[in-house]
Amino acid sequence: MILGPFVMLGLVLGITYVSSQSNASSTKVAVVSPTPQLRQNFLASHPSNIESTIKTVPAAKQALHKNHLAGYLVLTQAGHQVRADFHWNQSLDSGVKAQIQNYLTQAQQRQNYQQAQLTPKQQQALQQAPQLKQLIAKKTGAANTAKMISFWLIVTLIYIILITYASITAQEIASDKGTKIMEIIFSSTTAVSYFVGKITGILLMILTQIVIYLLGGWAIYSWALSQPHFHAMWEQYRTLISTVIHNLLNLNLLYLLLGVILFTLVAAYSGAVVAKAEDASKAAQPITLLGMVGFFATFPFQNNLDALPVKIMSYIPFLSSYFMPLRIINGTVSLETQWISLALALLTVILLAEYIGRRYQKLMLQTDSHSVWQHLFKHHH
Amino acid sequence: MLSIQHIEKQFGDVQALSDVSFDVANGQIVGLIGQNGAGKSTTFHSILNFITYGGHITWQGHPLSTKDFDHIGYLPEERSLMAKLTIEQQIIYLARLKGQHAKDIRPQIDDWLAKFAVKGTRKSKISDLSKGNQQKVQLICTLIHRPDLLILDEPFSGLDPVNADLLEQAILDAKQRGAAIIFSSHNMENVTEVCDSLVMLRTGHVVLHGTLQEVRSQFDKTELFVTTPWSPDKLAQLPGVLKVIPRQPGQYRLHLADANAGRAIFQALTHGEYIEEFSQQPPTLDEIFRLKVGEADA
Repeated sequence: MILGPFVMLGLVLGITYVSSQSNASSTKVAVVSPTPQLRQNFLASHPSNIESTIKTVPAAKQALHKNHLAGYLVLTQAGHQVRADFHWNQSLDSGVKAQIQNYLTQAQQRQNYQQAQLTPKQQQALQQAPQLKQLIAKKTGAANTAKMISFWLIVTLIYIILITYASITAQEIASDKGTKIMEIIFSSTTAVSYFVGKITGILLMILTQIVIYLLGGWAIYSWALSQPHFHAMWEQYRTLISTVIHNLLNLNLLYLLLGVILFTLVAAYSGAVVAKAEDASKAAQPITLLGMVGFFATFPFQNNLDALPVKIMSYIPFLSSYFMPLRIINGTVSLETQWISLALALLTVILLAEYIGRRYQKLMLQTDSHSVWQHLFKHHH
Repeated sequence: MLSIQHIEKQFGDVQALSDVSFDVANGQIVGLIGQNGAGKSTTFHSILNFITYGGHITWQGHPLSTKDFDHIGYLPEERSLMAKLTIEQQIIYLARLKGQHAKDIRPQIDDWLAKFAVKGTRKSKISDLSKGNQQKVQLICTLIHRPDLLILDEPFSGLDPVNADLLEQAILDAKQRGAAIIFSSHNMENVTEVCDSLVMLRTGHVVLHGTLQEVRSQFDKTELFVTTPWSPDKLAQLPGVLKVIPRQPGQYRLHLADANAGRAIFQALTHGEYIEEFSQQPPTLDEIFRLKVGEADA
């Protein structure tokens, strides 16, 4: 289970590599023209990705058929018009299309100028083109993408970890329910220390998994950095990647951890209140639902992290596990606020642990037929 | 000494225990008998603080607390171990909960497995063991930390006579080193063989309490064991004989209406001559048990 994401990543990288390898032979294009000047000009302006050894249509056709060519371009000149016929095995890529269009425009323009017998000054006047310049504040753009990526990463990460461990915990504890081994254990140690021990064990397991992910992620990251073909990408997204990593590796980790503790506690409680061990699978229902509510509640706010509901929910334990990290990513929350929310979550953890620990023995030894929901919502005698 | 004084327990409308009192001295074995639902397990659960109850239970003079857990060995009614563990892991896990160190327990495991003739090694998985062997491993878990208070809920159930003897010996060994032992049983034979005293519960009430002799002597000697060439029909016509129960050829048990009828029957059977067997006794524990249960149904 722990290795799952790594196996997935390996598979994706492997498939990408294999498919890129198999495509490699067919990205070149041949250029054919009865007018050598046209062909030479094209080759001169687009030196890359051209198969220059093929000069005739039959040779190009054959190469295309054998998949040695992605396509071929036939340049002709009829009267004063330049014409290009592109033969390809799929529709034209917009980049390639623009390139060809650009070349044709230039070639046609040269023809037109010659035809019109313009003076160089007139030619220059006609070449005057409007100017479009994009002025993007690069930092903000990157920051927004970084926020978006961080948002999805953190929300999904929290959701997966919470749901996985909540159901493991609930089932683990429910399967002990009503078994006589619990009587032996409770005749040997207090229910509170057994409960705390059990929860600690589960948390250490979760921590181990998180550490494995961090180390694995770091290893993959370092490996990717050392690979020459990732270098350009790394240069391009340097700010983005480091912002995302920064967003994941701050107080958010603490929220994740505290959220896991909170959800695990409630999961343990719902595990302990199931009627019998056979109902273990039902035990995780309430906590899974709570996790899903938190997860889906974040969706409407992904582009509006300053909204009031986000602020409110970032204080409410259970929901704060999702919402406060989002506010932290958004950068609109003071450290003080973060600590207040953390303190609230911590207080809930302590109160819950105390409450559940006290009732744990009774819950684990009793085998009545109340449902999980009845237990969660009824007042206890 | 374990002292149970006037404990009461109610589950909803059902009075599970009502004014139950008895003591278990150190080095003494008390048998708790009664039908299903008589309150045996509830008594044990009260001793172990699994449930709240009225009245007082003390161990060595103080209320039983978590500090005493290390000195208690408890065998629940239904057997249950952690199926994924090996025998060794299971024994060590439970012993460590009792404050023992793995290094002290580990060397003892083989001896205990041999003592109870467990079929399997310390590395055998619990789930691979037969029911009987699992039960024996559970007994080892209950005894290995040499508890001072042993609480055994139906320890003999499901054991064949050979294994029942092994358990009996283990209980007597624990008694020898001074442990206070209380166990419940449906099998009066086990109770007769190992108990110093017994407590019979019926619907939460103590109906009998005392040593085996004390309990039996509360009943008249209405059971007469004889060996005679007389026919059952002839025996049945003797004065005061209610029922003739053949035991072996020529051996009978006569159920008398009145213990005083014995003297006249002796005269009629022997005429002062030698007779191989003539033994007048109170009812057996088994009969007393039936009798007491019958009283409730009547």
